[in-house]
Amino acid sequence: MLLVPLPFLSQGTYIDENALQPGAVNTYWSWGDVHRADRYLEGLEALRDNNASSNERADFISKEFKRLGLDASTQRYHYAAATGAIDGVNAYAVLSSPRSSGSEAMVISASWLSRTGEGDGTLNLRGVSTVLSLAAFLKKYSLWAKDIVFVIGDGYLDGMHAWLSAYHGAPSSVLEADSLELPSGVIWTALNIDYPGHSFSHLGIFFEGVNGRLPNQDLLNSFQHISRYTGGVPVLVYDHLDPRDYPGREVEMSNIPSWLPDFVKNMEDVQEYSYAAKNVLRHVGYQARGMPSGVHGLFHQFRIDAITIFAVPAPGPHGFHAIGRVVESTLRTMNNLLERLHASFFFYLLKGPTTFMKIGTYLPSAVLISVALLFGGLGEWVNAGWVARPAFPSDEKSKDILAGPTQLPLKSRWTRRSRPVLPVLSIICFTHATGLLLFFLLTKSWVLDHLPVMSPILFLLVSLLAPAAFFSLPSQTLPPSQPFSTILKSFTLCLASTVISIISVLNFSLAATLAVLLGVPLSMVAPSPRVFGRIGNYIGYITLGFGWLFFIPQVQKAVWAWEVLGIWFAPFVCLVYAPLVMQAAIVCLFTS
Amino acid sequence: MYLHWLAISYSLCLPYLILGSFAAHTEQFDEDLVLRSLRDGKVLSRFSFTTRLNGTTPRNPQSLGSEDSSQHYTLFPLALGQVLREYAVSELHLSLNAGKWNYERWGYPEESGVGTGAELWAWMGAGDPTTVDERWQGLRNALAGLFCASLGSLDEQRTTSPSLAFAPEGSLPNWTLPHLLRHASLPSEHVCTENLTPFLKLLPCKALSGIASLLNPHRLFDADWHGMSVHVLWHEDMGVEVRLAFQAVFDPIRMSLEQKRDWSLQSIFDRSIRRSCPVAASSQIRVELPRDQAYSLGPDPTEIDGEYAIFNTKNVTEELNVSLRWPFEAIFEYPLEPPTVPLTHFSVRRILTGSSQSRGQLSITIQNNLPAQIQTIYLETMPWLLEFYLHTLRVHCDGRSRDDLMSLITYTLPVPHSRPTLFEAALTLPPKATIQITMDVTKSFLRYTEHPPDAQRGWDLPPAVFVPINIPTSLNQTTSLSQDKRSGRPLELRRIYTPTLLVDLATPDFSMPYNVIIMSCTLIALTFGSIFNLLTRRFVLVRVTDSEEKQDKVD
Repeated sequence: MLLVPLPFLSQGTYIDENALQPGAVNTYWSWGDVHRADRYLEGLEALRDNNASSNERADFISKEFKRLGLDASTQRYHYAAATGAIDGVNAYAVLSSPRSSGSEAMVISASWLSRTGEGDGTLNLRGVSTVLSLAAFLKKYSLWAKDIVFVIGDGYLDGMHAWLSAYHGAPSSVLEADSLELPSGVIWTALNIDYPGHSFSHLGIFFEGVNGRLPNQDLLNSFQHISRYTGGVPVLVYDHLDPRDYPGREVEMSNIPSWLPDFVKNMEDVQEYSYAAKNVLRHVGYQARGMPSGVHGLFHQFRIDAITIFAVPAPGPHGFHAIGRVVESTLRTMNNLLERLHASFFFYLLKGPTTFMKIGTYLPSAVLISVALLFGGLGEWVNAGWVARPAFPSDEKSKDILAGPTQLPLKSRWTRRSRPVLPVLSIICFTHATGLLLFFLLTKSWVLDHLPVMSPILFLLVSLLAPAAFFSLPSQTLPPSQPFSTILKSFTLCLASTVISIISVLNFSLAATLAVLLGVPLSMVAPSPRVFGRIGNYIGYITLGFGWLFFIPQVQKAVWAWEVLGIWFAPFVCLVYAPLVMQAAIVCLFTS
Repeated sequence: MYLHWLAISYSLCLPYLILGSFAAHTEQFDEDLVLRSLRDGKVLSRFSFTTRLNGTTPRNPQSLGSEDSSQHYTLFPLALGQVLREYAVSELHLSLNAGKWNYERWGYPEESGVGTGAELWAWMGAGDPTTVDERWQGLRNALAGLFCASLGSLDEQRTTSPSLAFAPEGSLPNWTLPHLLRHASLPSEHVCTENLTPFLKLLPCKALSGIASLLNPHRLFDADWHGMSVHVLWHEDMGVEVRLAFQAVFDPIRMSLEQKRDWSLQSIFDRSIRRSCPVAASSQIRVELPRDQAYSLGPDPTEIDGEYAIFNTKNVTEELNVSLRWPFEAIFEYPLEPPTVPLTHFSVRRILTGSSQSRGQLSITIQNNLPAQIQTIYLETMPWLLEFYLHTLRVHCDGRSRDDLMSLITYTLPVPHSRPTLFEAALTLPPKATIQITMDVTKSFLRYTEHPPDAQRGWDLPPAVFVPINIPTSLNQTTSLSQDKRSGRPLELRRIYTPTLLVDLATPDFSMPYNVIIMSCTLIALTFGSIFNLLTRRFVLVRVTDSEEKQDKVD
């Protein structure tokens, strides 16, 4: 797994869909349009300074759209989630393309809050004014083959999620949103513009979606190509500046440990490795949690390929002029599409703006661990079925051996023993039921509101439930020779292996994280002969399995993500990961 | 000498031909251009070319076996006339449109058939020796050839016979056997200059003179919306009428540098009228006068008839470039509020929700803009690609369930791979109410060979059609909706078309990697099978017992 960022395992990106023709057009975005964007920005800044409500903001934006002669409307939404209610108003407009049936559409969106700090309150005013001035600009051309939908989502993820759910008629139990008055066609591609700073030096690509879905790589590659050759703006993966581009500041920017000798630090491959590792780790951080890295991530669940263009804040040199040209040219490329993006990769690891890894190269790292777990589990299963017993004198064969001239030491003999599966299966079911109960409790508002008090209680509850289950087992009355712990371990290993290998095809980062978290601990687990050892091991495993309960903001966020956005991470941890570790903890409780 | 003889014979023949044809019937050609400034600064133009064959009747299909009377026309398009006679068509409507008609901004169109793509419907008399369906097939193939459009694919998988929505617009001859309707639409048809050229060929003056000289393809196909249509009608008192129409919506603001809505013939068509069509009995340009602001119209119109300024183009002596300006308007400001008097009686939006490839929901929202009850016919002609679950049909009025608002449901089940769905019902729209109709649908699974071999964007579904019936006339006169009396057509024949839809069906990945995966999986399966077989099979020597050996020896 550590080999993944190695330079020789990656290959250069390329554009696979011939229809895209990125960067092949002249752009017409001019300084007049930049001026218009500045004027919109003034209006938005006035709104910000007046502490305008969502309603006023949406009214302002939809009115500006209407002034341009576009059909515009607003949409109110309300989330009644256990993690707290959210209200907001989205504004959107549809530019009906001339001479087309309007059955296909592209989306340009911006959220009111920037993705900086996952929506920590940084405003995306320049992103919104870019969208507004683009609307004015794009209307002047008759070459659009698809409708263009402009969406200004309120909040960070919540607004766009409400809009998309209403657009696709995907009902949600916690969401009440107005239906959309202006229908348009099937959306194939979407661009989300995030421009929080005053000006920018690079454009960063954010591409991870809900539950780890990725957009087609052609979209990223075309944008990268256009930005570089049409806009003249260098492209980054995320907002990670490459230390090698800043010769004087390599040391402070690089993440290579400082204690390494200088000649190692200056090696080309080491620098490449460290940069790629940083990108891959960031990717795993988003994808494993299933959290979208920007507003674009919400589109993927509706089969829309979308990315966020993030203007990396810097003192210069680029501004509205550059981003307008890049978006214009990217839209022209998206406009060329005759069918959905399908030619290029949907599974990839982006290690740099122009280098990536194919699924065939990175997948083995997780699958190998999963296979190892499977073999470990099967080995335990075999062990459980056989026991080595000292040879009895009555046994004729062993007698013969004893009588033999070689005088072998006392030989043990492998004999079959029964493998009680049912009690073990009931333990496994019990652990998963505990996970379900825990998840059920966590999604209750009376638990969530008092999480600082509740999480130690919940932790204590689960850590006491496991021994309770263990001691209440009827198996304790059976002869101790029965290999419960071995069978349980074997089942746990096999289950973990199955989970990892299935997840690795859907969400590689989650599978890799699971492989790291479960691989070694589950393989190493063994009953300890001493009482203190048993208790110590047990506490260690329970902490591994349920320690996350003490990371209160993260827990709240994960539950919010499940309720509002439908991100599977919280239920997955409660129902799959924690029970598996709990099974390992129960293994520790056995005496033999 | 030879030339001389030819000239003589020609001069002898020509009057005979003309006199001969005049003896049978008289022909009349009228042309008309309507220009209307729309609320959002756009300009609607509608060209109408009417050729009337007085005193004729459509061909009776029972006479198809015997030889037809000879067709000698001077103005009437022969190519079309032959098609009509060959297939004994009494009434025919063909429209080829590009774009989405925006009823909320533009109101009712001048030509009501504005569904995106191609639409063809015809009334034909039943009778021997050929069936209506055989003639329908021949008709669409002949028209496909005539207009360079893929009308041939309007096959039985798209043909329906909706009884209410497409009533005949002219009269039908009273033959012994009844007339039958065939209707089909092809929303994915793209309309462009290859369709306009044969269209212009049907005109007596082509695009050389008269108002037809404004039909400049470079401008027409840059318009926000454009469509051409052919209508063949029979009026009992007059005869067969062929009307060719071209309708387009231009955006002068997009073309102007100063964001103004001023327009002239030169600015929107890049042409002006220099010559009149000599054979036209009447030729005129009608400009609807704006009501809201001061304007200047140039040059002086021939006459002003109510809301229209009429320019007679029967005799053009000097170049005519009609223009309309708003001199006191610095830049055009788009109206921010919807019009106080709605432009249509009701507005419709239709969406298909559900992003899965198997199920979805069709949702239609109809808003009655009038303070009076309206009745309308709702028609869906859906290819079998989408099948309705009729038991999930729900009608809600302002949030409350009102299944009683829908009545007279006609439903023809689709037959997969052969016949489309026909769903027709009458709807009652309470005053100022919003009605929502929802219906679950299932998306079909196509056979391998039914996928088109080209780029796969999805399947276009035809528009739904709404035909208002029974609209209170007292209201109609007070509102601006009475545009109908100008075009002289009854209100009942105004149809409202919804935009088309695009549906994604489950599509196999036809690309190269998929084939590679299939190939390599097959290879692995074969290899695994043989190796597994070799590994697990136990080869043992079977000893044949002595008794058997002996027996063998005895044998």
